[in-house]
Amino acid sequence: MLLIPCPHCGLRDEGEFTYGGPARTLPALDQDTQVWRDAFFAGQKPPGPMTELWYHTSGCESWIEVTRDTATHDILNSNTPQSKVDTP
Amino acid sequence: MTRLPQGGLIDRTQTLHFTFDGEQMSGHPGDTVASALLANGRHLVARSIKYHRPRGIVSAGLEEPSALLTVTDATGSTPNLKAPEITLRDGLQITSQNNWPALDRDAGALLALGGKTISAGFYYKTFKWPRDAWHKTYSKIIRRAAGHGQVDPSTNPALYDKRHRKCDVLVIGSGPTGLSAAITAAQAGATVVLVEQDSDLGGSLLQSADTIDEMPAREWAKDAADALRTLSNVIVMPRTLAFGQYDHGLVQAVETPQSGSASTSILWKIRAQRVILAAGAIERPVVFPSNDRPGIMLANAVRTYIRRFAVAPGRRAVVAVADETERRDTMAALQEAGIDVVAALQPGDKITKTTGRLHVSGISWRGANGKRHSARCDLICMSAGWMPTAHLFAQKGVRLSFASETQSLRPPQSDGPMRPTGGARGVLTTADCLADGKTTAHQVLAELEMHKHLNLNQPEATPAPAQGFQTGPGKAFVDLQNDVTRSDVALAQREGYCDIELTKRYTTLGMGTDQGKTSWTNGVLEIADITGANPETIGHTTYRPPYSPVSIGALIGAEVGNEMVPTRRTPFHDGFERLGCVFQTSGDWLYSRYFPTAGETMMQAIKRECLATRNSLGCVDMSTLGKIDVQGPDALEFLSRLYCNAFAKIQPGRLRYALMLREDGYVFDDGTIARLAENHYLVTATTANSGSVWRHMQKMAQVDWPELDVTLTSVSDHWASLAIAGPNARKLLTALAPDFDHSSEAFPFASVREGLLGGDLPVRVFSVSFSGELSFEINTPAGYADALLTRVMDLGAEWDITPYGLETLDVLRIEKGHLSIGTEIDGRRTPADLNLGGMVARKKSFVGGALLNRPALQQTDREQLVGLQPEDGETSIPYAAHLSQSELDSKGQAPLCGHLTAAIESPILGHSIALGFLENGQERMGETLWAHSPIAGKSVRVRVTSACAYDPKGERLHD
Amino acid sequence: MAYSGLSLLSHALTGNKRWPAILSTPDMRSSYDIVIIGAGGHGLATAHYLAANHGITNIAVIESGWIGGGNTARNTTIVRSDYLLNSSFGLKNFALKLWSDLTQDLNFNLMYEPRGYVDLAHSDGELEHFTLRANAMRLRGGDADILTGQALQERVPELDFSGDKRFEISGALVQESGGVVRHDAVAWGFARKASTAGVHIFQNCPATGFETEGGKITAVQTPQGRIACKQAFISVAGASSAVAGMAGINLPLNSINVQAFVTEPVKPALDAVVNYNAGLSYISQTDKGEFVLGGATDGYSSFARRGSFERIEDVLARAVQMFPFLTRLRLMRHWSGTADIPMDGNAIVGRTPIEGLMINAGWGYAGFKATPAVGWCMAELLATGKTPDLIAPFALERFETGAEQDDGGIGPYPWLH
Repeated sequence: MLLIPCPHCGLRDEGEFTYGGPARTLPALDQDTQVWRDAFFAGQKPPGPMTELWYHTSGCESWIEVTRDTATHDILNSNTPQSKVDTP
Repeated sequence: MTRLPQGGLIDRTQTLHFTFDGEQMSGHPGDTVASALLANGRHLVARSIKYHRPRGIVSAGLEEPSALLTVTDATGSTPNLKAPEITLRDGLQITSQNNWPALDRDAGALLALGGKTISAGFYYKTFKWPRDAWHKTYSKIIRRAAGHGQVDPSTNPALYDKRHRKCDVLVIGSGPTGLSAAITAAQAGATVVLVEQDSDLGGSLLQSADTIDEMPAREWAKDAADALRTLSNVIVMPRTLAFGQYDHGLVQAVETPQSGSASTSILWKIRAQRVILAAGAIERPVVFPSNDRPGIMLANAVRTYIRRFAVAPGRRAVVAVADETERRDTMAALQEAGIDVVAALQPGDKITKTTGRLHVSGISWRGANGKRHSARCDLICMSAGWMPTAHLFAQKGVRLSFASETQSLRPPQSDGPMRPTGGARGVLTTADCLADGKTTAHQVLAELEMHKHLNLNQPEATPAPAQGFQTGPGKAFVDLQNDVTRSDVALAQREGYCDIELTKRYTTLGMGTDQGKTSWTNGVLEIADITGANPETIGHTTYRPPYSPVSIGALIGAEVGNEMVPTRRTPFHDGFERLGCVFQTSGDWLYSRYFPTAGETMMQAIKRECLATRNSLGCVDMSTLGKIDVQGPDALEFLSRLYCNAFAKIQPGRLRYALMLREDGYVFDDGTIARLAENHYLVTATTANSGSVWRHMQKMAQVDWPELDVTLTSVSDHWASLAIAGPNARKLLTALAPDFDHSSEAFPFASVREGLLGGDLPVRVFSVSFSGELSFEINTPAGYADALLTRVMDLGAEWDITPYGLETLDVLRIEKGHLSIGTEIDGRRTPADLNLGGMVARKKSFVGGALLNRPALQQTDREQLVGLQPEDGETSIPYAAHLSQSELDSKGQAPLCGHLTAAIESPILGHSIALGFLENGQERMGETLWAHSPIAGKSVRVRVTSACAYDPKGERLHD
Repeated sequence: MAYSGLSLLSHALTGNKRWPAILSTPDMRSSYDIVIIGAGGHGLATAHYLAANHGITNIAVIESGWIGGGNTARNTTIVRSDYLLNSSFGLKNFALKLWSDLTQDLNFNLMYEPRGYVDLAHSDGELEHFTLRANAMRLRGGDADILTGQALQERVPELDFSGDKRFEISGALVQESGGVVRHDAVAWGFARKASTAGVHIFQNCPATGFETEGGKITAVQTPQGRIACKQAFISVAGASSAVAGMAGINLPLNSINVQAFVTEPVKPALDAVVNYNAGLSYISQTDKGEFVLGGATDGYSSFARRGSFERIEDVLARAVQMFPFLTRLRLMRHWSGTADIPMDGNAIVGRTPIEGLMINAGWGYAGFKATPAVGWCMAELLATGKTPDLIAPFALERFETGAEQDDGGIGPYPWLH
């Protein structure tokens, strides 16, 4: 059971969160199919640190970015999300 | 009786009665079932799993491989408990397992005659013909022969719970290492939790002849434990097995107040900053021919039974202990108990056989000089050395390495949260363990900045005896529980199952309920011996939790029956109960299903509810819909990016049906967008998707488009929502006396108004319709639900208002061809598949738009939503049928071109109708197909129609 | 040397000292027609069918660990074909047909036991959906029934319908040909047969790189040397991203932890394989007597092969709803494996953009049941160059075109599948 450091609420149990997958840049809406496919059908990063999104469902209802080592489950960092927009 | 006249940690003032296989026996508080059985002269307690060989008690701890028993108490029976782990209680009924007709004359022992034909993995090589014989015959025999005890099918009345604890330092184990570590940490002011699997604290000190601080070790242990209990920063938890180490320092433990019964246990989740693993070490058996007879025991177990339980497990003992100090200690213990030591083997001696039928009666060996010896005995005390109990440490995937100096798998140095200490890292003497506990405690205290760093010297691991015992040919068991012999291990190597994991899987070595605690190191050494490999290169199989089996009752705690997961009820629940509602579980929700009148069946009620709504007035709970409040200057832009249809022109006070796509272009959800004010919208999501749509919108707002000035609020639970539907809906709305103009001109279809009903009931009213009738969804703050329902029912009486539930809701929407999540919107549909292609905006960009353009999603002959009606106008279309152009062939099969999503008897139309997906369906209107349901045994001719079977022009929405 | 009751007897007479090894220990050649990367069930089945169906034996199977040591060793041994989508059903139902003959074909007892797979529905709506699936299976040549009430109680007498249950049991889809297969034996049986036919199997031999020329595969690199080949086939389950990555191929999938666990062994108390759907929990009893259970994935990317205990508690709570007697048993061991789950939750089988390099990946937690069918079809593709219909829908290129095979309709969120 992971202990996830929510930047707003502090260390909280995994059970309070909903997983949101690897953090990825949402392409601008007018980008073409290929750009969206590359963004959404990107493969698995190799074992090691990976930045991903978690939603603090039973807490502050914020999306947070967590950097977690997928080989060890160690959590290296957590943040409020940065802007992911390519073009406004 | 073999109880010694004095000594031990038992309370002789009380006598506890129990039975073993029906025979009356007695013991004392402080006994385990193992010690009590031995005190009653009972060695033979079990039959082995494969060869049904007589087996006795081998150990005095959780490592016990042989003595598996069924324990029956007032709560029922629990199989497979290990005799040494069960605290004796009055009235226990203990029964042996895996024998017939009786333990001492077990017919299964005939299997041993199969001898070498049933060696490791024999079942992979035979039982193959005829084709279904394995399933029909052999597996049934094998299954009955396998397994240990029987499971009690009766209801389990025991109560279980889950609890949490948090501390600076968790100490696992209360032997010299654990006590010393706990005292050191406690004295520094750390919060300490000390867990001990045994009922008594002290670990190896309880059977030690050592002295500490000039006190007998056992008394020192008692003083130390008592002192710890008085400290406010220490929690001592006996009878608590720490069974697993999980992510981020979580240790799970199970407390068994009635030790050794699987019933009434508590699961503890303990988070500590540092964990000192002081779980000690397990003694390694000696592998020699017929080393499994009752009366052949681990030397430390013998010392424990004598010193802790005051039991003499025999009269004539042979000692086969490799380590000299331990050999002397064992002989001393035997002498204390008045047991004759008839022989003490020396390292290098070769053990050639043992004799005895139900109990060991003799042993033969050959000295290093070649001289043959034999002795009559009823007890053999064996020890090849010790194995660190580093299991919890290794569970996190850290490899242990085989150390030649200790002849065991040892944990590496660690700076992680868990620190193997004392026996768990191969340190064996009492003095060294005390020192090691203290050293580790100081180390972690310094790390936690609770104490200055002291440069203490960590004791070295205790070396293994230089030489062990030799052994002759014969059935020598490596794993007693699974009847795995040395020749089985050899066979696995010969047949190419050489990797240790393959050896394990092929022979089942270490796969029993003891998970190989006494057998794994011997397995590694056997493989090394057979193959000539260096044991350091052999490795080990994966250590997995739990360290020892834990009660499933404890693992689920109170999450049983109706309490398994919470139940959500809508604000109208109580009111509906008064109306005689039949409820149905739907996901999280308990939702109204139908409202029968006296004596009515569900089908009759549905028909009545449908006709009442179509002809006059009905009402239905819509509270479970997701409701999301969207405000801000960029609210319109935000929604416009999120939904695929255009609604920029929507005016305040109006609403639109809206469709949301997933990023991959498939339809995600549908709902309405109501514009309450210039920059204020309320959108709905379907019940099933209310959580996921909310998270999705939050993600877009927080992560993807933070530049948009928009505020989202989930108001799903704030509003109770009751839809009134039917030709008389507006009349009821009038009767409810809203304070806004609600005439059909001022308040047309697809509008929203806010105000008061009857001057006092705050509402938002949406003119939307799922039923296809004139309809108003009246939202009121959840606390007013009862007031709204009462007024609607009272004032609606004039038009015979009929409450309806999910069933009628479904019939009405199917008649209209409206979509439902999970049936039509099943995650594989494009808007065009759902006949909503026209809704997709051409002039704006939206989520899902790019990937919707992929060729497979744009094909025009995809499955499309259609309606279906019986060709003959009357035959009932079976639900869940599939569509085909062909009749069933002789095998009952047919090529398929679509399937039904819903099929009902329409009360208003008077015949059966269905919705379904059909390949290229929009081009096939009027075509006749087969609807096949082999499950219903029906094939019906159906005609393809438009999805909307009732009021296709939507005239009934307006008045 | 054929395995039989007679051979057991004759070997017993010589003290079991003359049993041959199941694998030969050949020297590695510098080139093979085909290099199969991964000696799990799928890879070994492919080698076997290449030899048995197509007479191709100039094959090397290289394995980074031990045979069958990946997900073949870490599943819940269930075989079934209860899928609505034709593609998913077709491949798994073909596998089911193969399973029933494999013990004889391989001369190795795989212990296929069609004890019946029972998928429980918890509402009438869910049962209607199960009926749709059952009808699809029947109409496509599979076996399926819908049982309710008394009939279901008689089929699974151990199932508890009584008491205060959070989710009622409305009925079940029952597939009688579904059941269990001894997972380890699958790897061993295929390996032994393929090895006997002349296939070379190398354990502790990972692939470390690929060589291509003009967009065509020419060799596989290993620590034991370069192996030239005409074709190569990647079938490495949880290591797919890494191995395909060496060839520059990006697989649209995530690697997620899936757990399984067993109780202590007891005498037979449950015959069928039963699945609870209100939150996933599946259970069967092994021939050894353990109850083996599994559930949904842990729901986030992981290579740790170490699970979240909350999932276990969750799965057990559901299992106890079905079989309350389980509270009296004890959990003996729990483990986990890495499941590669593609964006539509379905496998990726067939060609890659590199000519001659084939892939079989992304089986999530559904790979074991498909083992022989994947082997059969991949052998055909490698031998003939033609993609068999059964695997055509699983081509990697479907994510380009949008022809996803999403049984659950869940979308490009692997952690939710």
